[in-house]
Amino acid sequence: MSMSAYYQTRAAHHGVVTSDWLAQSQEAATRAVVTGGQEIVDGGKSGRAFSVIDEFNNWRKQPDLAEAVAAIRALAAVIRNSEAKTMMELEIELKKASDSLKSWDTTSISLTAGCDLFMRYVTRTSALEYEDFNSARSRLIERAEKFGEISYKARKIIAMLSQDFIFDGCTILVHGFSRVVMEVLKMAAQNKKLFRVLCTEGRPDRSGLRLANELAKLDVPVKLLIDSAVAYTMDEVDMVFVGADGVVESGGIINMMGTYQIALVAHSMNKPVYVAAESYKFARLYPLDQKDMGPALRPIDFGVPIPSKVEVETSARDYTPPQYLTLLFTDLGVLTPSVVSDELIQLYL
Amino acid sequence: MPDTQALVNDFLNKLKKRKIEGSQATARQTAELLRSVISQQRVPYTNQAGALIDAVKAIGEQLIAANPVELAVGNIVRRVLHIIREEDLSLTTAAIGGLNLSAVSDDENDDDRDGDSTLSAAAVAAAARSTLRPPSLQTLLEDTPVSAAVPQTSSSGGDSEGKTADKSSRSRKLKHDVIEAVNELIQDIVTCHEQIAEQAVEHIHQNEVILTLGSSRTVLEFLFAAKEKKRSFRVFVAEGAPRYQGHLLAKELVARGLQTTLITDSAVFAMISRVNMVIVGAHAVMANGGVIAPVGMNLVALAAQKHAVPFVVLAGSHKLCPLYPHNPEVLLNELRSPSELLDFGEFSDCMDFGSGSGSPLLHVVNPAFDYVPPKLVSLFITDAGGHNPSYMYRLIADYYSADDLVVQRRATAGN
Repeated sequence: MSMSAYYQTRAAHHGVVTSDWLAQSQEAATRAVVTGGQEIVDGGKSGRAFSVIDEFNNWRKQPDLAEAVAAIRALAAVIRNSEAKTMMELEIELKKASDSLKSWDTTSISLTAGCDLFMRYVTRTSALEYEDFNSARSRLIERAEKFGEISYKARKIIAMLSQDFIFDGCTILVHGFSRVVMEVLKMAAQNKKLFRVLCTEGRPDRSGLRLANELAKLDVPVKLLIDSAVAYTMDEVDMVFVGADGVVESGGIINMMGTYQIALVAHSMNKPVYVAAESYKFARLYPLDQKDMGPALRPIDFGVPIPSKVEVETSARDYTPPQYLTLLFTDLGVLTPSVVSDELIQLYL
Repeated sequence: MPDTQALVNDFLNKLKKRKIEGSQATARQTAELLRSVISQQRVPYTNQAGALIDAVKAIGEQLIAANPVELAVGNIVRRVLHIIREEDLSLTTAAIGGLNLSAVSDDENDDDRDGDSTLSAAAVAAAARSTLRPPSLQTLLEDTPVSAAVPQTSSSGGDSEGKTADKSSRSRKLKHDVIEAVNELIQDIVTCHEQIAEQAVEHIHQNEVILTLGSSRTVLEFLFAAKEKKRSFRVFVAEGAPRYQGHLLAKELVARGLQTTLITDSAVFAMISRVNMVIVGAHAVMANGGVIAPVGMNLVALAAQKHAVPFVVLAGSHKLCPLYPHNPEVLLNELRSPSELLDFGEFSDCMDFGSGSGSPLLHVVNPAFDYVPPKLVSLFITDAGGHNPSYMYRLIADYYSADDLVVQRRATAGN
C-alpha cells in the first residue's frame, strides 16, 4: 500500500518508529550513496533533479525544521549548483526542480506552498533592481538560507500573539503534536500563567503521548484523553488549540485526522477553536469536501491481525471548514479565516 | 511645553473621573489634544518622525491608562501615529524623487554611480512602503533591515548635495502635513453622523418596522435622514434600563413626526417577530467584528438571530479598535453606581456596611456594556460604507500600523 512520505517523516520525528519505515530509510541511504557517485560522473540534468529530492530529504529529517524550510533550502542548493548564466535560465531550472519536488510527494501541503512562495519571490526579485546576475543570484541564495530564521522567528511571533488569549485558570484542549502550539504553551508556562492542558492521544501516531511528555517537563498540568473522550470532556474546556499542516484558501485548515471532529464538537458547545500556523502554510487549495484533497495514507497498526476482506480507513488527515474556526494566529498577525484568501490573492494575482 | 502639559493633565483628570460622555466627544478631544502636542513639539533635524512618534506614544500611554474601557482614546492615538508614519514616508519618497532629478542634471562621468544610487533608492523606497503596511505573504522573504537604511540614504544624499536649506524646510513640512492630516481626522470624527446617515435611504424601505435600543445619536440622524427622503416607517424603541435613554430617543423621534412605540427591554423577545430590521449604535467595534454596546444589546442580538431579523450596527470609524477581545464581558466593561438601580433611602438597611457583621447580603451589579459576538451582526454601516463583520480587518489595515498595536514608549537604547 502506498504511504504518504510526509506523514512518515512526521512519525519519524515523533519517535514512533515502525519497522517498515526503518527498512525504507535504510534503502534510501544506500540509494543516496550510489547516486552520489553517479552524480559526480554524470553531472547531467537527471542526476541534478534527483539530488534535489535527496537534498530535501536530508533537510526534512531534522526534527525541528519545518517542511517549507527544507524545501526552500533544497531549492537554494539547486541555485548554488546551477550553471545558468541568465535569470531566465535559472528560473526555468528552479521551476523544474520545484515541480519534481512537488510531484515526488504530492501529499505535503507546506512543501507545495513553500515551493510556490519561493518561486513567486524569485520571479519578483529578478524583475527588480539587480542588473548583475551574480549579485542577484547570491541574494537569492542568502534569502533562501535566511528563511530558516524567518520560520523560527515566525513561531516566536505566533507565541507572543497568542499569550493574551491564554488566561489564568483556563483549560486548553490540544490535538496532535504541533511545534508551533508547543512554542505557544512553552511561552505561556515561562510567563508563569496558570493553565491546564487536555491532550488527545492522537491515534495512530500517538503524538499526544509525546506532547504530554514535553508538557510534563515544563510542569504544566496535563491530562491525556483517548480520541473518543473529547465530547465527554468538552464541558470543562475553555479553548481548543491546534496547529495546521496547511491553511487553504477558504480559511479552513488541513490537519491531522480528528481535528474536524474536535472542531465540530467545540462549535456545538460554543468553545473557541484557535489555529496556530505560519504564513507560508497558506496554499492555493479549495477542498469542497473531505475527499477533495489528494489522499495521504498512513498504515494503522491495530495490534491484532485484521482479516483481508475488512477495509481500513487509512487517511492521515482531514479538512476543517472555516466556519468552525474562530481565529488563526500567524506571523502576519491574528487573522479571522476570511483574511486568508485576501493574502493569497495579494501574492498570486 | 508647559502649556501642553497643563492641557494633558486636565484631559487626564476628565478621563479618570469619567467626565466625558460618549466616544465621539472623547475621540474629538483626544485628537485636538494630540494636535496641540505635535505643534508644540520640537523636532531635531534627523529622524523627525521618530521624535514625534515618541512624544505621541508617551502621552498616548497615559491617556489609555486613564480610561482603558474608553477604546476611542486608544484608537485615535494609533490613528495619529499611523498618520505620522504615512506622512513621513510620502515625504521621504518625494525627497528621493527630488534627488533623482537633481542627479540626472549632473555631469556625465557621475552617471554610472548615480544610476546605481537611483535604482537602489527606488528599491529602498518601495521596501520602506511595504514595511509601513502590515506584514504579508508578499514581503515574507524580504529583508527587514532595508527600512533602517531609508533615513540614512536621504540624510547622506542631502549632505553630499549640500541641500541643508531643503532639509529644514522638510522638517517644517512634516509637522505641517501631520497637523493637516490630524485636522482632516477631526473633521471626519465630527461629520461621521452625516456620512452614515447618507446611506440610510438604501437600507430603510417603505412601511418597515425598525427596532432600536437606548439612544444613539448616529441612529437618530440615520432615521431622520430616511424620513427626509419621504420613507414612512415605524420605530420600536426599547427603553434601555437602567438609564432609560430610550425615553429621550422616543421623544425626539415623535418631535420629528415618526410613529414610535416604546417597550421595555424584557418585551424585546415578544415584539421581535413583528420587526423587519434592528438598527443600533455601538460603543466600540473590535477587530474580529465583535461589538461593545450598551447593556441589553446582546439580548436584542440574540432575539434578532432567533427570528432571522437583520441586525445592523452603525459605527463611526473612530470606534474601530484594532485589538481582539478576550474576555470582553469583564475586561472591557465598567460597573456603574448601584444608585441607578436602587434608591439608597429605601434599601439602606440591606446595603449598609455599618449594620450587622461583615458585608451586606444585597449586592448590586450594574454593568455599562455588553459584548455582541460577530456572528450575530449582519452588517456594519460606517462612514466608509457598509461591510460585514469579517471585513473589519481591511479597514484596520487601512487606518492603523502594525507597530502601534501596543502603545508603549520603547526605551531608547540608541537609534
